Amino acid sequence: MTQPLAFDARSSSGRVGAITFDKRLIGLTGLAIRGFLLSLVTFGIYRFWYITDLRRYFWNRTVIDGSPGEYVGRGKELFLGFLVALAVLIPIYAAIFVATLSVPSLAPFGSILSFAILFVLGQFAGYRGRRYRASRTLWRGIRLGQDGSAITYALMATGWALLTVVTLGLAFPFMRASLERYRITHTLIGSSRMDSSARGRSLLLPWLSFYAVVLLPVLGALFAFLTATDFTLPADLFVPKPGGKPSETIFNPAYAGTPVATYGTILVGTLGLTASLGFLLIPFYRARETRVFMNAASLGPVRLSSTLKARQFYWPYIVYLLSIIGLVVVLGLVIGGGAFLLQAKGPASGASWVIGLGLVVGYLGGALVFAVLYVRVITARLWAAVATTTTVADAEGLAAILASSRRVGSGLNEGLADALDVGGALEVGF
Amino acid sequence: MQHTGPVASPPVATGTYLDGLSARAHPVTLRLADRLEIDGAGTRLAWDLAGLAAGDTVPPLVRIGPRGSPARVEFADPGFADALAGRCPDLHRSDAAGAGGTWRLVLWSVAAGVSVLVLAIYGVPVIAGRLAPLVPNAIETRLGGAVEGQVGRLLGDPPVCDEPAARAVLDRLVRRMTRGGDTQGEPLVSVRRHPLANALTLPGARVLVLSDLIDKAESPDEFAGILAHELGHVAAHDPMRALLAAGGSSFLLSLVLGDLTGSTILIATGQAAISAGYSREAENAADAYAVTLMRRAGGDAAALATILERIAGDGDRGAVATFLRSHPMTRERAQRIRSLAGPGSAGRQILTGADWALLKGICRNVPVKSAQ
Ligand SMILES: [Zn+2]
Repeated sequence: MTQPLAFDARSSSGRVGAITFDKRLIGLTGLAIRGFLLSLVTFGIYRFWYITDLRRYFWNRTVIDGSPGEYVGRGKELFLGFLVALAVLIPIYAAIFVATLSVPSLAPFGSILSFAILFVLGQFAGYRGRRYRASRTLWRGIRLGQDGSAITYALMATGWALLTVVTLGLAFPFMRASLERYRITHTLIGSSRMDSSARGRSLLLPWLSFYAVVLLPVLGALFAFLTATDFTLPADLFVPKPGGKPSETIFNPAYAGTPVATYGTILVGTLGLTASLGFLLIPFYRARETRVFMNAASLGPVRLSSTLKARQFYWPYIVYLLSIIGLVVVLGLVIGGGAFLLQAKGPASGASWVIGLGLVVGYLGGALVFAVLYVRVITARLWAAVATTTTVADAEGLAAILASSRRVGSGLNEGLADALDVGGALEVGF
Repeated sequence: MQHTGPVASPPVATGTYLDGLSARAHPVTLRLADRLEIDGAGTRLAWDLAGLAAGDTVPPLVRIGPRGSPARVEFADPGFADALAGRCPDLHRSDAAGAGGTWRLVLWSVAAGVSVLVLAIYGVPVIAGRLAPLVPNAIETRLGGAVEGQVGRLLGDPPVCDEPAARAVLDRLVRRMTRGGDTQGEPLVSVRRHPLANALTLPGARVLVLSDLIDKAESPDEFAGILAHELGHVAAHDPMRALLAAGGSSFLLSLVLGDLTGSTILIATGQAAISAGYSREAENAADAYAVTLMRRAGGDAAALATILERIAGDGDRGAVATFLRSHPMTRERAQRIRSLAGPGSAGRQILTGADWALLKGICRNVPVKSAQ
């Protein structure tokens, strides 16, 4: 139509393109309620259409440099993909089952074997799922895409996972960065290939915070405990529980009040405390990682720049947690009140039916509220946090993106991920 | 927009033209005349109004383009959007399933779910019944071992009772009862100390007797009657059938619920094994088998009815007896057993008094739990 467009990095004016997200979330609650209820009555089959609606909702409201994203996937594609995945998975499950039954030496490793197979398959499926989502996402009429080999990716992920285990987790940030580089460098916008300079060492510090918070205090408490016991644990520290089952033991009362008990209590307390602190660090790490990965991504002269703060990841979780606690308290009061009524009226009265009904309604209602809250608070706010803190540097370069003529992958790609239920398989974004 | 002059001029708006070939945004002027006219530097287009489709965007942003073409125009002008919508009735028609499509989808998936449920409840047991006798003995034996381990854990790992003299009596009794029978080889009868009066049959001809059953039995024939009943389950492949049915049903259910990681299947299978609720027909068949077996072995065929009633009476007094849950309608069963047995075998004893006394002490090898 016009003359070919070419990159001209020198003339780049350095214009910054904003990414905005409509945070009013109008209609999202209705979408979530409808999705939940229809999934319920359709034995979960509606979930493919629901997640498609959600993706369309979120992309439509994300405006990048003036133009909204566009999701053109169909629920039917995901459903067909799921059916195909079943056809692949059932023989695999059957094979694992028969193998562990007919080769007795394999039996103890049955669960490890199936975990290993499902892990590799899960990575494979996750990569293929991302390919599907990319191919159904458009911006300014240009279709995104992903090439690269899901097998390579799955093998890489497996190797890195083993290395992470061997290095007691130290390789984890390097694994994340390596996999992110593979994903991003195989992501295409039209015919332009993205690039990522993500490095594991930029994630090392946030990752080591887990060690500082969890591992060091535990090691300290363990050292104190061992010093207090002169590095020899009394063999009779735990004795069989009187009148208990053979496997049940209790703490030997003879040691109560001794340093062994004191430092043992400190050790156990430290473990519990640091474990929960470590749990609380997860959003911090995730936010840092997202920022590092965003800043590392580029498309020719166009770069992404993220100012994501950890607190923007904490806030949704805190709101969600508080809502859940509130809801559970209310439900508990209602159920407790019902039980009290039942006690007062005697079990023979019709109250037990009412309470049974109330429990079912409360359970379903609670699940509905959780589902809606999750989408509104966690999904939407995290999406908004990532989108609105990211800007496109040198947005002029975006004009150079050309559409690609490559074939569009089928929806079968993502079915396996859903069938395997790999960590939030039906993701909304990438 | 301008509405000046004697003749109302067509609505005009500014927007962005995207040719679908590159991401370059072309600033254009839109003019709604007989066709949608798009004017800009190097761009001069006119799109037929009838062929336009709008994308799913958040107002005021509108994205339109010719149906089936990657080219599109984006603009944010509510007045122009209204004018356009007035001229193109098909603007917001979606290609695929709308509301009707959703209802069709809901109906079909409910139908599919219900048919899978029906298959799981009615079809799977029939298929399992056909398949159970075909399972190779080696596999069934191995399964039985796995299930016994799981059942043991569910019961809290009760210790095995095998006081040698009592064990010898039990072995002799089992051998005598299975002589000429159709149980798969020699059944593995084991006794465990447990405060439940119950006996379970597991795949691979394993019979698990809980010690309270022996304590509750007032004659060797009562105990042997229960044992004979369990051997009836063995002969009919009931445990394997129940296991296959439970596994198959939960597999189907997890298929529908979309959880294929196998966790549901394993859990449900284990639970089915312990609560092994056989059908009423299977129970009656096992009772009839027990009566025949007791008569052939020279015992009191009606003693089974006596102990069933006694244990059921215990259950009424509040003790939790799982035996009851899987063996309901005790009175009816007892009557049927008595009528099958007839008066012929009444008063016979399958073991001598001395042997019975020995057998009663089978848990003597397990130290009684330390006093509370
Ligand atoms: Zn039975």
